[in-house]
Amino acid sequence: MKTIATIIEREFVTRVRRRAFWLGTLLGPALVFGLMLFGVWAGEQAQEDVKVLVVDQSGLITRLEPRLGTWVPTNPTCFPERTHLAYRFSPEPLSDSAFLASDFDLMVQFDDAILQHAKAMMYYQRSPAVVTSGQISRDLSEAIERFRVKEEAALEYAAYKRLKTNVNLVGQDIETKDGGALGRGAIGFVFSLFLFLQLLIYGMHVMRGVIEEKSNRIVEVVISAVRPAELLAGKVIGIGLVGLTQFLLFSALGFVTTWLGGWALEAGGWLTLPGAAENPELAALTPDFGTWLASRAELSFLLDVNWGLMISATILFYAAGFALFASMFAAVGAMVEQESDAQYLMLPVMVPLMASYLIAVFAIQNPEGWLSIVASWIPFTAPVLMLVRLPLGVPWWEVLLSWLGVVATAWGVILLAGRIYRTGILMYGKKPTLKEIWRWVRIS
Amino acid sequence: MVRMASGAAVEVRAAHKSFSGHVALHAVDLTVAKGTIHGLLGPNGAGKTTLIRMLAGITSPDSGRIGFFGEAFQRKHIADIGYLPEERGLYKSMRVGEQALYLARLRGMDRKEAAIRLKTWFERLDVDGWWNREVADLSKGMAQKVQFITTVLHAPKLLILDEPLSGFDPINATRIIEAIQYLRKEQGTTVLLSTHDMSSVEELCDAVTMIHQGRVVLDGQVPTLRRQASENRLLVTFGGPAMAFTNALGFDADLIEVSGDSQNGLSKASLALKPGVTVPDWLRGLSAVVPIHACEPWQPSMRDLFLHAVDGPKANPS
Repeated sequence: MKTIATIIEREFVTRVRRRAFWLGTLLGPALVFGLMLFGVWAGEQAQEDVKVLVVDQSGLITRLEPRLGTWVPTNPTCFPERTHLAYRFSPEPLSDSAFLASDFDLMVQFDDAILQHAKAMMYYQRSPAVVTSGQISRDLSEAIERFRVKEEAALEYAAYKRLKTNVNLVGQDIETKDGGALGRGAIGFVFSLFLFLQLLIYGMHVMRGVIEEKSNRIVEVVISAVRPAELLAGKVIGIGLVGLTQFLLFSALGFVTTWLGGWALEAGGWLTLPGAAENPELAALTPDFGTWLASRAELSFLLDVNWGLMISATILFYAAGFALFASMFAAVGAMVEQESDAQYLMLPVMVPLMASYLIAVFAIQNPEGWLSIVASWIPFTAPVLMLVRLPLGVPWWEVLLSWLGVVATAWGVILLAGRIYRTGILMYGKKPTLKEIWRWVRIS
Repeated sequence: MVRMASGAAVEVRAAHKSFSGHVALHAVDLTVAKGTIHGLLGPNGAGKTTLIRMLAGITSPDSGRIGFFGEAFQRKHIADIGYLPEERGLYKSMRVGEQALYLARLRGMDRKEAAIRLKTWFERLDVDGWWNREVADLSKGMAQKVQFITTVLHAPKLLILDEPLSGFDPINATRIIEAIQYLRKEQGTTVLLSTHDMSSVEELCDAVTMIHQGRVVLDGQVPTLRRQASENRLLVTFGGPAMAFTNALGFDADLIEVSGDSQNGLSKASLALKPGVTVPDWLRGLSAVVPIHACEPWQPSMRDLFLHAVDGPKANPS
């Protein structure tokens, strides 16, 4: 036991004291957040300036402005000048060669058939960004809508706007009276994503550690002092604790940042309740951060999440899942002398991990679909998937059974992987065949 | 528990080990007397590493017995063993002192005790001043010294050294040899030394065991072996063609090796006289045919014994 503690200490300390660990821990979440912001920013930047020629062959939404001698929209509010979008209008389409020679990027062409099938042709040299075509589609739709409201219903457009209704579905579980499930599904995904990353990253650490000891030839010295099983256990536990430490630091960092952010918003008086613009009484109130969160429909789920349960479940499933995957990674490491040889041997470890990630991505859409439920029972995918399901409410016995399944499987895999490890770490030279690995499992 | 004959540090009896059809050790016997330096010799692939790993407790024999200071070898005994494998390394990302402490603690030593002993050993082998350096900065010889220190630090009763001198320059090799001799003399350490370096065997070893193709082909005290091997052995310096000399030998002697010297036209032949042949009579007959310049008793070196045992394992010189 004392030697295992010594090994755990080494594995833990040599990793946690590295600058890379702290950079990853502190900058990792900042980097993820920054990347998301960058994605939004880059999406905006990607929107190039586009000149569009709108060809209204039936004169539904355009008219000739006699003073200017050009065609303009009947209702200019439909086609506002936008940062990246400039409209010109014409009743006549350009010929292909004329369009190519012109400085127009797009030509949108329609006649009165648009009133039946609501379709317009868009000609281009280079297909436009989705944002751009979406913008054009919305502008054109509004213009056609205005035309039809006026011509076909003899209605004020403002009145039509008032009548028009978009029904939103607000979900609530009939048993748990639980709303906000979708937002909490996203929280579950965030937790499962972290778990997946920790299993993968620190599982690879275990594999690299085994390969390092083997290729460094220190392993023979070490196992002349301790049993291979002790070395493996110490290594897996030590590195597992590094991943756990990082997860706890992430959580602490998340809470502290949210708390500080909330405090800053409160202190700055930037928090207003919805409807404050119309209601001076509401505007007079300066809510605290919690009240403000509760008042925002898109954020209130944050208060409904049982964070304590999520974090303790993550720790438990991480512990069992890490024992399972890290011992497999260790067995792979013991079979090879350098990491590049490990590629194809890693497949049996990577497939269940990647599968659980992919199923988790699908599970955001449908967290209570059969696929995510079944995957949260299969020991190899359960750690990641149970976390996606957990915030939506899973009976405690189901969580427990699923966890025990992971533990039992981990136990079996450790026994098997331990045998491969014990023989593999002393084998040098040619790569073992599957038949040889099977013999290691049987004889040792 | 099987009681083994006392007096021996290590007693291996009829050890057998095979790996997937290949027999690595075949009924190997090995006795290492307490407080001696015992050489384990043999060509590459002879089974030395397999035998050594068994003694270090890393593997166990398929059949046979291993005795350790009078008791049947058990897991608890590895605390009394220091093992320096042939292929050895250190963790690159750790500092020298920290790593030595770690390896000492794996051997069950507490941190304080280990630090004190490390200091002494670092000074003895000129590694002091390297305590806080990264292992990656060490030269090969320096790293080897650190490895040697971590092997002997817990004052093991049995030290198993596999090629301990490889990678050392002559100066540092001498330091290590002195350290090994110190351990035997001052701490009564028994040393099992596996090596290809025959000069160090002659310098250090009290006894040797040679294995070849998984079997013991030579075993005994070094002086005894050399004396036995030098019986009836002669080194003859002669002139003229080697062919004439070989023909003149007839059935009285077996030629072991002939080497010519082109400068003075003389050749040297080492040979073994057949039993019953007396040197003066034989020489008289030979010198009538071939010009003989000198004849002296031949003392084979460990290298000669090694080559002879490997080339003709059936013609065991003992």
